Amino acid sequence: MAERATTPPILQGPTAKEKKYDRQLRLWAASGQAALETAKVLLLNSGPGVVGVETLKNLILPGVGSFTIVDEANVSELDLGVNFFLEESSLGRWRAEETRRFLQELNPEVRINALEGSIDAFADHPRRLEQYSLILLVGPTRNARVLDRICQHADKSSIPLFYIHCQGFFSHFSVQLPAQFPIVDTHPDPASTQDLRLLNPWPELLEFLEKKTGNLGLLSDHDHGHVPYLLILLHFLNVWNASHDSQFPANYSEKKEFKALVESGARRNNSEGGEENFDEAAAAVLKSLNPHSISSGLREVFEADACQNLRPTSANFWIIANAIQKFQTSHNGILPLPGALPDMKAQSSDYIQLQNIYKAKARSDLAEVTRTIRSSEQELSRRLSIEQAEIEAFCKGAQFIKVIHGRPIRVAKCTAEIDWSDRAKALSQELQNPDSLLPIYFAFLALDRYQDDIDRIRTLRQPANDQQFNDILTGRVVSGAVPPLPTFAESAHFSTPAVDPEHDPKPWPRFDTPEARTAFDDVVKELDRADWGELHNIAALTGGMVAQEVIKVITKQYVPVDNSCVFDGIASKTAVFKV
Amino acid sequence: MGRDRFAKQSLGYLYPRIKQSRILMVGAGGIGCELLKNLVLTGFGEIHIVDLDTIDLSNLNRQFLFRQEHIKKSKALVAKESAAKFNPHIKLEAHHANIKDPQFNIEWFQSFALIFNALDNLDARRHVNKMCLAADVALIESGTTGFNGQVQPIIKGKTECYDCSTKEVPKSFPVCTIRSTPSQPIHCIVWAKSYLFTELFGTSEEETPEFDHSEDSENAKEIENLRQESQALNSIRQSMGSDDLARKVFDKVFKDDINRLRSMEDMWKTRKQPNALDFDGVSKGASGTKPSVAQHDQKAWTVAENFTVFCDSLRRLSTRLQTSQARSEADIAAPVLIFDKDDEDTLDFVAASANLRSIVFGIESKSKFDIKQMAGNIIPAIATTNAITASLCVMQAFKVMRGDLDKAKMVFLERSAARVINSDTLKPPNPNCNVCGVMSSTLILDPDRATLKDLVEDILKTQLGYGDEFSINNEVGTLYDPDLDDNLSKKFSDLGVKADSFLTVIDDDEDDPRVNLSLAILEKTLPADTKAVQLPKKLDIARKPKDAPAPLTNGDTNGHVTASPVGTKRKRSLEEPESGLQQNNKRGKIHMPSKAIGFQDDDLVIADDSNDGAIVIDD
Repeated sequence: MAERATTPPILQGPTAKEKKYDRQLRLWAASGQAALETAKVLLLNSGPGVVGVETLKNLILPGVGSFTIVDEANVSELDLGVNFFLEESSLGRWRAEETRRFLQELNPEVRINALEGSIDAFADHPRRLEQYSLILLVGPTRNARVLDRICQHADKSSIPLFYIHCQGFFSHFSVQLPAQFPIVDTHPDPASTQDLRLLNPWPELLEFLEKKTGNLGLLSDHDHGHVPYLLILLHFLNVWNASHDSQFPANYSEKKEFKALVESGARRNNSEGGEENFDEAAAAVLKSLNPHSISSGLREVFEADACQNLRPTSANFWIIANAIQKFQTSHNGILPLPGALPDMKAQSSDYIQLQNIYKAKARSDLAEVTRTIRSSEQELSRRLSIEQAEIEAFCKGAQFIKVIHGRPIRVAKCTAEIDWSDRAKALSQELQNPDSLLPIYFAFLALDRYQDDIDRIRTLRQPANDQQFNDILTGRVVSGAVPPLPTFAESAHFSTPAVDPEHDPKPWPRFDTPEARTAFDDVVKELDRADWGELHNIAALTGGMVAQEVIKVITKQYVPVDNSCVFDGIASKTAVFKV
Repeated sequence: MGRDRFAKQSLGYLYPRIKQSRILMVGAGGIGCELLKNLVLTGFGEIHIVDLDTIDLSNLNRQFLFRQEHIKKSKALVAKESAAKFNPHIKLEAHHANIKDPQFNIEWFQSFALIFNALDNLDARRHVNKMCLAADVALIESGTTGFNGQVQPIIKGKTECYDCSTKEVPKSFPVCTIRSTPSQPIHCIVWAKSYLFTELFGTSEEETPEFDHSEDSENAKEIENLRQESQALNSIRQSMGSDDLARKVFDKVFKDDINRLRSMEDMWKTRKQPNALDFDGVSKGASGTKPSVAQHDQKAWTVAENFTVFCDSLRRLSTRLQTSQARSEADIAAPVLIFDKDDEDTLDFVAASANLRSIVFGIESKSKFDIKQMAGNIIPAIATTNAITASLCVMQAFKVMRGDLDKAKMVFLERSAARVINSDTLKPPNPNCNVCGVMSSTLILDPDRATLKDLVEDILKTQLGYGDEFSINNEVGTLYDPDLDDNLSKKFSDLGVKADSFLTVIDDDEDDPRVNLSLAILEKTLPADTKAVQLPKKLDIARKPKDAPAPLTNGDTNGHVTASPVGTKRKRSLEEPESGLQQNNKRGKIHMPSKAIGFQDDDLVIADDSNDGAIVIDD
């Protein structure tokens, strides 16, 4: 090993903040952390509200920038039994402020406010939502109108919104994302991201190949056993092409034949009876010889209007996507090279050289994309130029880009039926599955409508005292005012077989099977038994799941749930549905 | 309305039992903090917490019972205090101790209705698993890494135990293991990298302004000692650049600190005592060694070679630090060096220091090449995964308490947006498991006169009818097999076999081997006219099942949890019925497979780097 010619630059040590967040920076890097730290989360809490507070806990710890809690309730004895972020002295006080106080202790670096006023204020003045970057709305809200207006406005302003339910052993959350929500860094499995371009080699790689395998047969045993496997594959592809009319092995049987050809090249007159590098080459045949193609997610991005027609106000994402599309058009459909190499048996100097060849190609591809971007920026007279790191990340992850199409949250309105549109059929099919957890979703929808009904009655009667008012606010309605939930659910739309979705203008998913109806009834009964109560443990779990998805949405990394998730705490099962 | 109304309503008849239950939580880290909150709010009557670790800055992004001002304090004690505030009606007891300590014996384990593992290392997990099997108490095992998590209920004789499927070698270590009681090369590597190097060249936590140095009388003595030790080391930084820097550092960490550790007699009752090194002595022996030996990275260096590389790399690093200090402006933070496995100077220093420490503790030295690999990466850990995993633990606990074993599940958490949580029915015990697929008994021995021969001849061969082909093992390794008879005349105490520890007898009979025999040691003075080793009752040991189907492991349902060739590993263990530990010992290899679950959350978590494009060089 040669002495280092120059002293490498001194690195500054990690800051205290970097140390504190060290274990998560390994998951979403500095860019994800920066996104979290600038996010402003609004929690519109209702009911016992534990799930909302537990979600906040999981967002405060990793350092999401600021929080606003809206919660009208005062702390009751019941709250003390389920909410960890309250104590005896909190009894009778304003719950939002009390939880704020305890949550703040978790992380002095985040800002948490308790906001006076009711959730209704946001329904009445939806523009107040616009200062937030993400909304957590805990159901059931006071009534369907409040829910509807908040969801609609969040949708219009492209603010991601999470609608959350948690009662007894069940919970649900739905994610309302903007209509087009692209994710560049989906963190694909590293094994799947290796793009060796063996079928599309470039001159520098071929030159190195010739140097290393030009006279493969004459190499010493040591050198022969250290030819990097990808050069072995390239070498034998040339051999193959010579006898196959320059056609690469395309199907399984050809690849098998090619594999045998590679294996036949190994020297076996040694103590191991073979060579490790040749074993590696043979093992890589199936996955490394696929023709270059563009993933459906990326194709979708290329075809989008936003990519085709750039505007001065286009998001960086589309400017880069446009440049990459131009790149692949001018390179016969081939994308910029990501440039990473897998481990392989090789002499270190060869491996390093090979690594440099791949890196150099990746850099030159990136430079070409960057040039296109700079000229687009000039054409569009954009003031800020896109950072190199953002372009590079896009080039590296291009094949794995995903676009989620946000869908509005279904709201159980009393006045109008829900428009299930294109989902009615798929959901009806899902309900045919006797083990489906989808009935949980419908049970919570029934709960929303039930709450809406209660609210109508509430507005007709004046609460007799403060306690009753509080009970109504927190959903703990004195029995007798409305029929019990199961009776209500049975009489409501939910358990009656709907009209044929093929012909109904606003079709409903059908509960045709007895299993689905029984499942629905069982969940409703269990929700009723829970009596508007949350089990701490289920709320903690749901808070964990919601926060996990919130982090994905804020960092725009990893692929979030699209778009509804239900949890069955009796079976310890989750299911994700697109509704 | 009572505060427990919701819990009463939803949990039904189980609730009174929960209120009366005395349970144990082992580990108060990432999962532990979440779990303790859930257990407290679920209403468990009495909760014991055991953790030997102290709080580190990097814990605060998820271990929510801890705050900045708690750094360096005991996790168990702080967790107890923080949680107690939230429910004064529950009895909480904290033990700042190692779960492997003899005070936590089988009888103590038996005093709990249920035990939760919220641990960060394989060794402790295995120990608790074994103790729970011996005490016949249900165990809820859990672990996380990054976005992935796993929960597994373990009930003796009914489900797979923790060791029924092959597990990977641990990569995370408690602070005390690293700082005071290393026993493996990796412990010394972590010490060199994350302690010695950081204190000398990096940002030591003492220097960071956020830290509060307020003393806490409740802190364990050793933690305070270690803190002082770090401070003393840190003050050596002032000598950076001076000619006697190497001597100062060397004397501090390889002589003075070792002598202090040696003086803690309790620590060495069950361990080999370390031996301090003498600077002048070693220096003399190293006079002919050239620093260029650092380039020989494939062989394990001698003491002299390590010493030479240590001094030389220390000189290189201190020069670098000084050069940059001279360059840096007064108003910016003092420059520091960061360990980077690709930075030769830092790697040389870590390799040489780690090996010198190994020599002090009588541990095998490693080549620089191996150390580079072992000093790899860190396992990510986040609040959300811990929150979900901890809640799943409690839900499985409900099922176990109800006796609903067919409803209890092995639950997996995954990053995929399609499923979030996956579950799998619990598998029956693996009949070939070396831990639970065994015959268990107590072995009464008289510590003053019992020898290994008494067990081999009187009990195994004569009383139980074993043939010649069998071995006796404990957690350290093999004590006896047909080719290893040197120990026969030794007393158990001389072999390091202590009360409440276990011996495993593995029958290697070719035709019809017995299942493994696990013997829990009970020390007792026996009348001189009776045998020195006795079984409390007659044993009828079953034979190993023939042609048992290869049992499934968790790896089959959750690819990311276990390294890929689980099936192959299992096959091998069918052919050679040895414990995995023994295989490691015999082959002298440390397996460092790629990322695996179940060992996160320590402040010293390391894992090998699976995707850094490491160069594979033939040896």
